[in-house]
Amino acid sequence: MNRPIRLALLAAMTLLLALPAYADIAKFDIDGRIYTKHLYQNDDSQGLLTLGNPFWPDKISGHNGVGSELELTIRGKVSQYVEAGARLASRFGMRWQDWWASGDLAYAQENTSGDSEGMNRAAYMQLRGSYIQVTPDMQAINYIRVGAHDFSLFNPWTIGKVRYIDRDNGRGYFIGGKLGGDEQVQWFASAIAMPKLFVGPGWSTGLGDPLLTNAFWSRDWAYAGTVKWQVNESTAVRLVGDFTQDLEVNRADPDAVGTTNANCRDSLGQAIPGCVQDHAVDMLTRYASGNATFDLNSEPTDWLRVTGLLGYSWQHIDPKLAGNGVALNQGVFPLVFKNTQDFAGTLRLSANDPFGVGLSLQAEYFNIGADWNAIFGARREADVLLTDGLVGSGGQLPTLNLANEFIDFDDLWYESCIGWNGATGVATWERDTTRLKAEYTHIEYNTNMQNRDIDKVYPNFLHSEGWTDTGLYDYANVTDRGRDPRSVYRRNQFRRTNIGAVWGKHQFPVGPGLDLEVKLKLVNDTDLRAVNGVGALNDDYEGNIAIGRGSLSMPVYDGVRVGVFSQIEQWDEKNRTGTQALGYGHDITDKQTSGVNLNVNYQGMRFSYYLEYIHKTQDREREADQLWNIWRSKAVVEAAW
Amino acid sequence: MKPMFAVSPVFPSWLGRALAVAVLAVPLVALAGESALSFSDPAGDDNGTGAYKYPSNPEYKTHAFDLRKLEVTDKGDEVEFKVTMGASIDDPWNSRDWPDGGGNGFSLQFVQVYIDTDHVKGSGFTTPLPGLGKATFADDEAWDKVVLISPQPRTRLSAEVKAKAGALRAGVVVPKSTRASGKSLIAVVKKSDLGELSSKWGFNAIVQSNEGFPVGRDLLTRPVNQTPGPHRFGGGDDSDCDPQWMDMLAGKGKGDGSEVQAQYSAMKYTCGSKVATIPMVYQGE
Repeated sequence: MNRPIRLALLAAMTLLLALPAYADIAKFDIDGRIYTKHLYQNDDSQGLLTLGNPFWPDKISGHNGVGSELELTIRGKVSQYVEAGARLASRFGMRWQDWWASGDLAYAQENTSGDSEGMNRAAYMQLRGSYIQVTPDMQAINYIRVGAHDFSLFNPWTIGKVRYIDRDNGRGYFIGGKLGGDEQVQWFASAIAMPKLFVGPGWSTGLGDPLLTNAFWSRDWAYAGTVKWQVNESTAVRLVGDFTQDLEVNRADPDAVGTTNANCRDSLGQAIPGCVQDHAVDMLTRYASGNATFDLNSEPTDWLRVTGLLGYSWQHIDPKLAGNGVALNQGVFPLVFKNTQDFAGTLRLSANDPFGVGLSLQAEYFNIGADWNAIFGARREADVLLTDGLVGSGGQLPTLNLANEFIDFDDLWYESCIGWNGATGVATWERDTTRLKAEYTHIEYNTNMQNRDIDKVYPNFLHSEGWTDTGLYDYANVTDRGRDPRSVYRRNQFRRTNIGAVWGKHQFPVGPGLDLEVKLKLVNDTDLRAVNGVGALNDDYEGNIAIGRGSLSMPVYDGVRVGVFSQIEQWDEKNRTGTQALGYGHDITDKQTSGVNLNVNYQGMRFSYYLEYIHKTQDREREADQLWNIWRSKAVVEAAW
Repeated sequence: MKPMFAVSPVFPSWLGRALAVAVLAVPLVALAGESALSFSDPAGDDNGTGAYKYPSNPEYKTHAFDLRKLEVTDKGDEVEFKVTMGASIDDPWNSRDWPDGGGNGFSLQFVQVYIDTDHVKGSGFTTPLPGLGKATFADDEAWDKVVLISPQPRTRLSAEVKAKAGALRAGVVVPKSTRASGKSLIAVVKKSDLGELSSKWGFNAIVQSNEGFPVGRDLLTRPVNQTPGPHRFGGGDDSDCDPQWMDMLAGKGKGDGSEVQAQYSAMKYTCGSKVATIPMVYQGE
C-alpha cells in the first residue's frame, strides 16, 4: 500500500473514531449505585451477613467486616413500544481486606495470598435482571415482558413478590392487558422459570435430592395468572392462581441418561412390555402444587373498607422422586411430605375515622388451614395479617418456605401463620403529631393435634419450643434461641395465644420536633401439649412474654437525624423445653437492649449508623444458665447516581 | 383429663385497661372555631393530559392518584392539609421500615400543594420543583409556598430539598407531621413556616408518585415516560418537555365535570414550543 493511500485510510479511521456516539446514548439510561456495609460485633466471626446457612463452605455469615457493592442499571429505549434493560451488580461478599482475590477456589485451604476463596470474594460483576418489554398500542394486550420480573403481579398466597435482594433474579414470560369498555378487567398471565434453589422438596427442584442421580431442572416451570375486575369505582375483585411443576426424567425410559432399562430387558433377559427406545425421554412429576385465591376490596363509603380473601392450596409429591427431608433432614423441610389440600380465608373491616375524631378501628378474622402451603409464595417483605404477631417485626406469611437468612441483625423477621385461626382488633387514634394504637389478637391453631407424625410427614424444623429470640438467633441453635419461626407442627399440641400491644408516638415541640415512640407488648402463649397419657399433666407450656420499648429521635440539621432507644424484655416460660421422659424446665429470660442511631443524607449520599448493646440472661431450671453481653454495630454508606 | 385451657386471668384485665385508656384518651371535643378552605376535583381525571397511564405494577391501584378534595384547616398555631384520593391509601412498600427513622405510613403518593399567598404579578416562583417536568405558573399566580406531602421521613425530604431545589428551597415547607388516613393524606405545618392562612390564597395540589430512587435531579418524583413500565407512568414523553404528574385542581376547584377539560387544557404541551401551565385556584373567585 502506498503512502498516500495509507495516510487517507489513517485519516478516515481517525475521523470515524472522532464521530460522536450521542445518537445511541440519547436512547440509553444508566444508573449507578455503590453500597458499602460495615458490620462489627464483639465476637470472632467473619462475614457481612448476620445469618447465612451455616453449612455452606464460604464465609457468607458472620458479624465482622466491611464490603462494597456496585450496581449498574441500564435501560434502553428501543422504540416507542419496546424497552430493554438489565442490572449488573458485583457479587456481595468481598471484604475490604480481600486484596488480590481473583476467584480461585480452594475452600479446603486458606492460603496467605487470599486468592483462594472463590468468586464471591472477587466481587465479580453478575448479570442480574435482563428484560425486553413490549407495550403494544392495544387494549387487550398492552404488556409483554420477557426476562426478569419481581413477580409483584400476584400475591403472597400464590407467587409472592421476590425479596429485595433477589428482586430481578426471577425470570419468565409475562403478558397482560385490559378488557371492557372502561378497561374494567385487567389480566396477566405468565410462565416463570422455577428457581432450582428453593421451590420444591428440600428447597430444590431436584438438585441434591438423594433419590435422583440426574436431577433435571431445566424444564421446571411455574404458571400463574390473575384477573382483576373493577366492578365499580368502589369495588374490585381479583382471581389469582398458580401452578408449579417439577419434572424429572423417567429413568425407566431407555432413552434417558443413566437409564435402568438400557436394553429394554429385565433381569431374566425378557423384553419389558412397552419399553421402546424412540429417542424421546419420558418425564415424571416429582412435585406439583397449585394455589388459587379470590380476593375482594370494597370501599362502599369514604370511611369503610372491606377486604377479604379465600384461598385453596394443593400439592402432590412423588415419594419415589423426592427424598423425605422430614425423616432424613431432622424435620427441616419446607413441605408436608404427603399430598395435601387445604383452604384459607381472611376478612378485614376497616373503619377509618367514622366519628370524625381521629379514631379508626380495624377488625380481622383469619383462618388458615393446617395443610395450607404456598411454596412459591412470599418468603419475606410482605405481611398477610393485621396482627403484630409473635415475632413482631416483619409479619406473617402462609408458607413454610420463609427466608429469614441472608439478613443483618437489624433486619425484619417473618413467621409462618399456617394453621392460625383467630381474630385481631386494632384501634388507632391520630391527631396532629400524636398517634396511639392498641391491638388485641386471639389465636387458636388448626395445627392442634395429638400424636402428629413429625417423624416422616410433618416438618417441625427440629426446634419448635420456646419463645424465639430473633435478636440473637443462630440457625444451628447452639445457644437455645427458641422456636424456629417456620415450625408450625408439633407432635402434641393444644395451643392458644393471646397478644396485646399498645403503641404511642408523639412529637414534642423541641427544635424541629422530638419524636417519642413507645411500645408495650404482652403475649400469653399456652400449649397443653399432650392432653392424655403419662406425663400429660406435667408438660403444659405457659409463656408470658413482656416487651417494652422506647425511643427518642429528632432531626438536628437538614438531612441529619439522631436517635436513642431502649428495650426491655422478660420471657417467663413454664415448661419451656424438655421431653416427657426427662421433664421440662421453668426458664426465665431477661433481655435489655439499648442503642443509638444516626442517619445522614447529604447531596445524594446516605450514611446510617446503628450501635446497640444487649445484655441477656437466661435462667434455666434444668440446664446451665446463660449470659450474653453483646456490642454490635452496622453502618451503611451509599450513593446512587 | 386436665382442663383444656387455663388462660392467664391477667389478660382480660390488662387488656381491658389498655383499651379503655386508648379509647378514653380520644378527645371528643368538637372542632369548633377552626376555619377551613375546601377544593374539589372531579373523579376519573387521574390521567394527566388525558393520555397518561398508571404503571403496570398492580401496586399502583386504580384511582390511587385521583385527587378528589383538598381541605386546608386553620388549627391555631398550625395548618392542616388534607388531600383525599379516589382510593384508600396503602403502604405496599412498608414505609414505616424505611431508613432515616421510618416513613409516614404510605408509599405511593407524593402531593405537592402550591400556594400563592399574594396574587401579585412578579411575586413568587413560576417554575415548580424539579421532577414535575416542564411546567410554569402564570406571573400573577406564582407560588410563594409549597407544602410537600410525602411518605419520606422528614430527614430524607429535607436533604433532598436542600440538594435539589436550589433557590426554590426558600418556599418549601416540610410538614411537622404527615400521615395517611383512609383515602386521605394529612399533613400538619407550622404557621411560622407558612404564614397566617387566608381565604384569598390560591392553591393547587399536584399529585405525583413517591420515588425513593429518583432519576437525576428529580425531587423524589416518578417520571412520566412515553410508555408505562412496572414503575413508570406512561402516555407522556421520554424527555422532560411534558408535565409529569397525574392529577391537579383545575377550573374553580368545585369538582364539576368541566374541570376535567380544564385540567387537560392546562397540561397540554408541545415539546419545544408549548409548556404546560399550573393554574392556581382561589376560593374567593
